[in-house]
Amino acid sequence: MSGKHNHKAFEGHMHDFEAHIRAVEEDLEYYRAKRFEPRIIYLIRRGVVTFSDLLKARVALKRSNQFFKLKRPQGKNIEARVRYLEEWLDEYVKGIALVSARAVEAMDMVTEDNRKERGDYDDFFKIKKKEHHGTLEERMVNVEQDLKDYQELLEVFVQALIGRGWSTREQLQQRWQQLHEERPWAGGVIVAKAWTDPAFKQALLSTGREALREMGVHQGKVGKLVVVENTDKIHNVIVCTLCSCYPYDILGDTPWWYKHESYRTKIVQNPRACMREMFGLEVPAGQEIRVYDSTSDVRYFVLPQRPGGTEGMSEKELAKLVTVDSLIGAGYALDPRQQEEAEKLGATSEAPRVRPD
Amino acid sequence: MESATSKYRIGDAVLVAAENPTGNPRTPRYIRGKRGVISAVHGLLENVRDHRGIHKPLYTVRFDLSEVSSCDDQDSVWVDVHEEWLSSLPPEERNY
Repeated sequence: MSGKHNHKAFEGHMHDFEAHIRAVEEDLEYYRAKRFEPRIIYLIRRGVVTFSDLLKARVALKRSNQFFKLKRPQGKNIEARVRYLEEWLDEYVKGIALVSARAVEAMDMVTEDNRKERGDYDDFFKIKKKEHHGTLEERMVNVEQDLKDYQELLEVFVQALIGRGWSTREQLQQRWQQLHEERPWAGGVIVAKAWTDPAFKQALLSTGREALREMGVHQGKVGKLVVVENTDKIHNVIVCTLCSCYPYDILGDTPWWYKHESYRTKIVQNPRACMREMFGLEVPAGQEIRVYDSTSDVRYFVLPQRPGGTEGMSEKELAKLVTVDSLIGAGYALDPRQQEEAEKLGATSEAPRVRPD
Repeated sequence: MESATSKYRIGDAVLVAAENPTGNPRTPRYIRGKRGVISAVHGLLENVRDHRGIHKPLYTVRFDLSEVSSCDDQDSVWVDVHEEWLSSLPPEERNY
């Protein structure tokens, strides 16, 4: 799957089309209503961009100037169409990253501004998310139309920024290329090293980002990093009940359910029931569940337990066993047999989607 | 550096303010007015991507699950809370 790390209990494997489309719908609305449109509104309030700028940019927009260029679906079957929508969503999210605070100087905007603007502290500001109904076919048609519409607004916004001189086409093109560079997923690399190198594990657990810096892992600086270790006695699980904080600068984006109200509410009310019902995990009675709510300047991830039957495996092989869910505590690292099965079903260990600031 | 700037230490019993004090708004509702224990002292943290300036010292506070929800499993919730939200809890009011 393009741009996805695909061992997700909640989304299922590729043959579960319903789950894949649900993930696209949820993520698309999240990105529009929480990450993109609040930013436009913030800038419009401050006159950095105006409605007129957007209208003018729309009229002047030429196909040759567009950043988004998407290939056609590779076939008419449902699997090809689902993949196509997922790839399109990846492009949309990269487009939002293209115009994130880091890219455009005029956007003197920190995450806290965005949280206010999107209504994290006041329902009055919340932008309504679309609801999705109908058959799978109808939903696929709808989500394709939404992607078209949302992408057009994003494209127009990019052009308006250039039109106003807040950024240049060359700068944005360079960043657009960077956003499309493939990188190995750091999650697997870090955990595999911690499983095989006790000194590194100790450093990771006690110093967080510093240990990663020494290891040469690409990272930004989204808060202090704390890594919590799962053991026979303790099962850690991560949430952000206020929004969706996560060390995404290191690990990429979370699965959609991490940002969903149902998970964010239930995991702190009844963690055992949440683990059972949402992820099919039965945490043994003798194991304490510790829920970490990343409410402020600390970002957390879980160091999962090393699965049995992995003695003598190389770091590279071990890295494939590490799943996105296991770093949140919503799953375990795969054992070699599960990993083999997942691979047969078309799951890959590509990096998860980039998350814009 | 952390102990020099932070009022509480690991193991201190604390009470989270029920009302919103001025300062950092990021204390979730479900822990307001609840009792917990300081479990990590982070001190003053810079986080330029997230916000301007530096907030009051930050702590990780451990709460019994039964203190913050109606579930009485022996599990726990660990939440990051800034100093202005916390007050010391006298020993007789501790829940452990």
